[in-house]
Amino acid sequence: MDVLSELLSGLATALTPQNLLYAFIGCLLGTLIGVLPGIGPVAGVALLIPLTLNLEPTSAIIMLAAIFYGTQYGGTITSVLLNTPGEAASAITTIDGYAMTKQGRAGAALTIAALGSFVGGTVATIGLVVAARPLGDLGLRIGPPEFFALMVVGICLLVALAGRSMTRALISGVLGLLIAMVGIDPVAGAPRFTFGSERLLDGISFVAVIIGLFGLSEVLAKATTGTSRAMTPGLRALLPTRTDLRRSAPAIARGTGIGFVLGLIPGMTGSVSSLLAYGAERKFSRHRAELGSGAVEGVAGPETANNAHANGALVPLFTLGIPASPTIAVLMGAFLQQGLTPGPTLFTEHADVAWAIIASLFVGNVILLILNVPLVRVWTAILRIPYPVLTALILMFMVVGTYTINFTVFDVFVMIGFGLLGLLLRRLDIPLAPLVLTLVLGPLMERSLRESLELSQGDFTVFLTRPISVVLLVIALVIAASPLLRLRKPAALTDDPEA
Amino acid sequence: MKTKITAVTLAFATALTACAPQQTGGTAGAWPRKGKPITLIVGFAPGAAVDAAARVIAPVLEKELGTNVEVLNKPGAGGQIGYTALTNAKPDGYTIGATGSPSVVVSPLDPSRGATYTRASFLPLGMQVLDPMLIGVAPGSPYTTLKDLIEAVKKKPKSVTVPTTGVQTGEHFALADIQQRTGAQFAPVHFSEGASQAIAAFLGKHVNAYVGNVSDVRDLVTQGKIKVLGVMSGERSPFLPDAPTFAEQGYQIEAATARGYSAPAGLPADVQKKIESALGKAIEDPAVVAKLKNLGLATVYKSGPQYTTYWQEQESTFKNALPLVRNEG
Repeated sequence: MDVLSELLSGLATALTPQNLLYAFIGCLLGTLIGVLPGIGPVAGVALLIPLTLNLEPTSAIIMLAAIFYGTQYGGTITSVLLNTPGEAASAITTIDGYAMTKQGRAGAALTIAALGSFVGGTVATIGLVVAARPLGDLGLRIGPPEFFALMVVGICLLVALAGRSMTRALISGVLGLLIAMVGIDPVAGAPRFTFGSERLLDGISFVAVIIGLFGLSEVLAKATTGTSRAMTPGLRALLPTRTDLRRSAPAIARGTGIGFVLGLIPGMTGSVSSLLAYGAERKFSRHRAELGSGAVEGVAGPETANNAHANGALVPLFTLGIPASPTIAVLMGAFLQQGLTPGPTLFTEHADVAWAIIASLFVGNVILLILNVPLVRVWTAILRIPYPVLTALILMFMVVGTYTINFTVFDVFVMIGFGLLGLLLRRLDIPLAPLVLTLVLGPLMERSLRESLELSQGDFTVFLTRPISVVLLVIALVIAASPLLRLRKPAALTDDPEA
Repeated sequence: MKTKITAVTLAFATALTACAPQQTGGTAGAWPRKGKPITLIVGFAPGAAVDAAARVIAPVLEKELGTNVEVLNKPGAGGQIGYTALTNAKPDGYTIGATGSPSVVVSPLDPSRGATYTRASFLPLGMQVLDPMLIGVAPGSPYTTLKDLIEAVKKKPKSVTVPTTGVQTGEHFALADIQQRTGAQFAPVHFSEGASQAIAAFLGKHVNAYVGNVSDVRDLVTQGKIKVLGVMSGERSPFLPDAPTFAEQGYQIEAATARGYSAPAGLPADVQKKIESALGKAIEDPAVVAKLKNLGLATVYKSGPQYTTYWQEQESTFKNALPLVRNEG
């Protein structure tokens, strides 16, 4: 019970009134910053770092972790209420989150997101406490070939996102891959599809694409069809119903698993976790038919996954000193600032600090929950703004948000362009989710494929001679082939008791 | 309900004003404008030396310059993606970047990379560290000395895979140098996002040996996760006193990564002066030097003009070696 006693003493440090106050302020500020468009967790945390510089190491890192949780949740708020994701990882939440808002269930969506984030974050932190070392080793076993196989599984989830027509889903998926190709070749360095434009060398901004595709195209679609009924939430709808909770539970469980495991792998991003969690809901949820039109699972799964991922990503930081994501890197910067070297030596040389940080992760999660559930009422009050005014506000948010990514007007044009493309795709009944999926997975898949082939010196059997890779590829095959199997026994589709 | 709406509007307003100075302004005045952050681009993934050094120096620069300095990772293509973003940025002092040799020196020399920048696109501001290269294996590897490893590879070319941080980066050149002088041809695997990926691949036993910098492995050595077979420097590294050099074992090979900071060319002279002096102070700040030492990095400060000269020398050295590390495909 050595671990437990160390954790308890860590908790004692984290729970001093002073540190609790820092955690609380961090969470609140983080949430406010996260609500701002275009400022995701990385920029948000970076922006607020100066606040923590004069604090002692433990307090500083506690506050940063709280800011980090806050910004992440803030991004979810805009995804759900305004259909404008604040960051890549909550992009997929817009689909069902905003659909729930349109049904007047924004409050339920936000509460479920907070609950899911809490569960995902807490379970992942427990994982970090009880089995950091073996989990770190597990993450290391995912080399380039396994990474590639995992990406293949992800791409195969495209069949789950297909909706009515596989062809249309594939069109959307290929479009995503194409957009992902623009920019500098990630290995050899040659420019691709840039047409001599310097602007395109940096690739097409993911957040601009997402805001345009989802946010702007929705506004445009509404404007052209002329429906503008108010979305005033009923009071009852502020809290999730028991059915919501019951339906979310399995989604939260799946999201936790997916996010945590992917978080362990160096080089994996949080948006992959949330996308795959969404794909998993589309594939395995008992209510999969409702996903896309405001199903609570579509919020619970990805939001849980991205928080579990964020906490899982601390495992490689603590066991190997490798920050698995940009936000973790910012945290690592804070460590270095305080003269602490992240890695296994942290536990031997500064055990008190290490455990206080882990304890503060638990505390941060709890604060996030108790801070945000009451605030849900405040946030949803935004929807009481009359629709025409709200639309103007949303448009402003989208323009400012895309501008602030790199402070270039070019990104605003990209956003508008993708808004028009999104409108066109909606008209043609082409689903948008596959595009996002391939846009995120494409570059990772390309990189791992090229690394794998260098590893094997051009031999493709490298994917078939490594056990983890083979298992993953088989899973991919089963997922890809499942629509065919379903055709054979259509009864399996309609056995949903609640349908 | 009205109070709630006010509360929300207030929250937004407060938050918006918080970042307003970044967008408004426009009034000419002293650089840096208050509240306008400086972005420090790092062309590699978070973790490992380049990133860590930048994150250590950022707050000291912040104090010197009186405005936020934010580290932004733009990994890929062995640094080229970050270098492109740096040289494409407005030369107004609000964007600077970490530049590492050989990657920054060599990437514009190979036409197949289609780099949009040359040496003249950068304004070197100051050099911070010189980090020697080394070669190592996992404990329990069949190769116990450098000679074992090199002889084995000579006998069976391309039989040993090693990670690099990208095509034509320091590791790739070091491998080419080894091949030229000993005839041992290793099989490089390019982890184009940086050393943190390369280290993960080594620790996961996905590659057979490790080629990288002293700073990458210092912590791993204390944990007993790597056995360093040879350091490519004239003398033993103070961070790895037990690791023999290549020269001690009869191989006259020296290689190191030089890291510093640059701005896009065309910076106004007064801004350049300000950044250069702030950077010099920050690099030589005893606390920064100590933190870098903790990371296994020896501070070797060169001022802007000295760094420029060094860059030119590096360019002619690497030009000769370039054919050895040409893009293969």
